Amino acid sequence: MTTPVKGNVRKLVIARAMAEAIAQEMRIDPRVFVMGEDIGPLGGVFGNTRGLHEEFGSERVRDAPISETAFIGAGVGAAADGMRPIVELMFVDFFGVCMDAIYNMMAKNIYFSGGNVKMPMVLMTATGGGYSDAGQHSQCLHGTFAHLPGMKVVAPSNAYDAKGLMVSAIRDDSPVVYLFHKGLQGMGWLGTEPDSIVHVPEESYTVPIGKAATVREGKDVTIVGITSGVHHALKAADTLAARGVSAEVIDLRSLVPLDREHVIASVRKTGRLIVVDEDYHSYGVTGEIIASVVEHDIAMLKAPPRRVAYPDIPIPYSRPMEQWALPNPAKIVAAFDSMAR
Amino acid sequence: MAVEVRIPADLWEEDEEGVITTWLTDDGAAVGKGRAIATVMVKKVEFDIPAPADGTLIMLKKADDVVRKGDVIGRIE
Repeated sequence: MTTPVKGNVRKLVIARAMAEAIAQEMRIDPRVFVMGEDIGPLGGVFGNTRGLHEEFGSERVRDAPISETAFIGAGVGAAADGMRPIVELMFVDFFGVCMDAIYNMMAKNIYFSGGNVKMPMVLMTATGGGYSDAGQHSQCLHGTFAHLPGMKVVAPSNAYDAKGLMVSAIRDDSPVVYLFHKGLQGMGWLGTEPDSIVHVPEESYTVPIGKAATVREGKDVTIVGITSGVHHALKAADTLAARGVSAEVIDLRSLVPLDREHVIASVRKTGRLIVVDEDYHSYGVTGEIIASVVEHDIAMLKAPPRRVAYPDIPIPYSRPMEQWALPNPAKIVAAFDSMAR
Repeated sequence: MAVEVRIPADLWEEDEEGVITTWLTDDGAAVGKGRAIATVMVKKVEFDIPAPADGTLIMLKKADDVVRKGDVIGRIE
């Protein structure tokens, strides 16, 4: 049997792409270090610091006690003092106890100091559900962090973007919140999303913060998503294509700065807009995207826009209840069908 | 000459079944000896399967297939 020889395809899961980006930056910049719970010898509960402790040791890859208030505060202090910390909050849901350090110090100290203090800190944290981990381990909270000024916010949907966004985040002199979805990490026991596992160049590169990407071109409807929402949107686009509907899919990649122009340009072409978000429905990313388009020019829209987001309820533990609540491709197709044609 | 990609017989201790969670390259792609080309999960623990030789990978199992220690999951030509 002969099989045509293809190129040297090196696919990575998002977890490995994140770890590779961090390692490459640590090799060239001694100010970069990592701190958090179980990020040392264990390699992170979601795999994104695997191999770092072995290469860089306990001084630069620091396991922290279960006190987010202390170690995220310490990260803010280190950043103000010239280091470039990457601090992991294990689950975004745990932000409650350390939010003062995040939104009153990390996010504001550049402004409070009149620009005299830099804050080159990356706060990386796991989001998302779908695996029955209940209401305090499954949230996305995109809107919560994107709402508060002073922090950049990024959230990759595939390994290529995960590496490039991490390099950009580490090199940025402003604080960057790096949200990674647990279901896309490639951890196996959390499920696998094949479309998130893509070719990743070994050499270092950047993906710019604040730039969305069109991941599928179409002309009849624009579907905007982030992290898991992108993958739901791509599957919905396949279903719609089988019915002769051409859907364009946009991966926001960053929530702050938000690439409104990219979305507007697409809706100008398609005239229809669906926004998908695993974060809560109200006061969130979906409403912000729709408002941005409507404020720009409501006449572009051939139909009222739709959102497919998480219902405004605490996330259930029960598998059937959680699966009922989560966004999915069928809900996106139904949203399209509900739009005036 | 083809080299088998085999799950080592001592990769995990007991006689549990595992599952191929991910192929880290494409069927028919060029691979380099020692590079991780697949991951196998057993009871929530993931193991890397490195390429045993340089060459072209032919996959004999798919992602999500159940595997046991000693199984051949591909070959390198």
